[in-house]
Amino acid sequence: MTNHRDAIDDELLSAWVDGELDASPEQRQQVEAWLREHPQDAARVRQWAADRDALRERLAPLLGEPVPPRLRALVLGQAEPAQRRWLQAAMAAGLLLTGGVIGALLGRHWRDAEPAGPLAAASAPANGSGWVQRAAYAHSVYVPEPRHAVEVKAQEEHLARWLTRRIDLPVKLFDLRDQGFELVGGRLLPDGPGKSAQLMYQDAQGTRITVYLRKPDQATEAAFRYEQQGDVGLFYWVEAGAGYALVGALPKERLLALAQEIYRQHPAPGAAATPAAAASR
Amino acid sequence: MNPAPSAFRQQLLGAVPRLRRYARSLVFEDAQSDDLVQSTLERALTHWYQFDQQRDMVVWLLSIAHNAHLDMRRKDSRMQILDPSQLQTAQDSLGGDAGVDVGLRLDLLAALARLSPEQREPLLLVCVEQFSYAEVAEVLHIPVGTVMSRVCRARAAMRGLLDGQAKPGAATLRRVV
Repeated sequence: MTNHRDAIDDELLSAWVDGELDASPEQRQQVEAWLREHPQDAARVRQWAADRDALRERLAPLLGEPVPPRLRALVLGQAEPAQRRWLQAAMAAGLLLTGGVIGALLGRHWRDAEPAGPLAAASAPANGSGWVQRAAYAHSVYVPEPRHAVEVKAQEEHLARWLTRRIDLPVKLFDLRDQGFELVGGRLLPDGPGKSAQLMYQDAQGTRITVYLRKPDQATEAAFRYEQQGDVGLFYWVEAGAGYALVGALPKERLLALAQEIYRQHPAPGAAATPAAAASR
Repeated sequence: MNPAPSAFRQQLLGAVPRLRRYARSLVFEDAQSDDLVQSTLERALTHWYQFDQQRDMVVWLLSIAHNAHLDMRRKDSRMQILDPSQLQTAQDSLGGDAGVDVGLRLDLLAALARLSPEQREPLLLVCVEQFSYAEVAEVLHIPVGTVMSRVCRARAAMRGLLDGQAKPGAATLRRVV
């Protein structure tokens, strides 16, 4: 067998490690015979294989990194920030699916660390979280008020500035006139330990909807959900550092169109997470 | 030329994580690997019609990355082998987790970074991407025999570095533990 000395060089051993000799069984068997007779070479080859495995394992975590929105937009040929696409997709899906299914599709679980308040405990829904429940209650408390529905009327210029300062979030007075809703005004509300803002809109028939805005808790993940409570529907979502709940006694499709409009007008995302990755997984 | 069809774009998007990993293990420095990824994707989108659906998208894409990398190195002489003083930064940027064999892992990347791109590329393609020698030959536009010898030399060089048989000046590459 010593006549293999010349034939079995390092390149052949290396190729054997990489499974490149599988196509020629004769050569492979020669190498394997050589390795049985030469323990030092066998040890070297084992070390090469271990280095290969270590390198592969060391670099594997890079594969799990989400594709940055910028690259995603580049590849998909979209000018708009790709970051926002997942929510639009979820909203489109919302026409057909319930919130729970959307949540499952997104692979996200609603997480809101703060405990639900006493009001929420009175009739806490199966899902949803404390602040969403507070948005629903705030809606039910103020919407029936004929004259004191809002604290500051829409005509007052400082409404957006005031709310922005108070809840520490850019509050935009969304224009929903294309959907037939005029801004009535807004108010500041207690929201657990913090504050929130409520904007109220009304259509020609006197139907009122509210938009509840708050700064989400740090642990809150991006999500887009729908919940029905009696005749009142809620779309709620968290994006770009702001939590939104749209509440109204409207058909789901109509509420969804309003949610999409609000989402479209929503201030430019700041330091948001990159939910694009969640949707693509 | 028509813009890339959406089926191609979806396919390309699926290959992006592997492209990014390859770029980062090839170039190490974040800004430069980002540039490499971006320019590779731009080229792929421009030349989408050259992609043969019978072929592996990643093989095609990494072959574009190889060309883009060559161009970058030609343009920028700083794209040479990393200075040992930069290695820690490079390792940090690869997000080393403090596992039990952290000493070995750090040395592994340090050794990888010490290899010439001519050795590093085939080694990564074979070991990490698990390409066959024929596929590596296609990516790097070199004969299969050359792939075989480069992989062998790269592997021996890396092992030598890990064993501390480094050339003078590479004492920092010795195993930490």
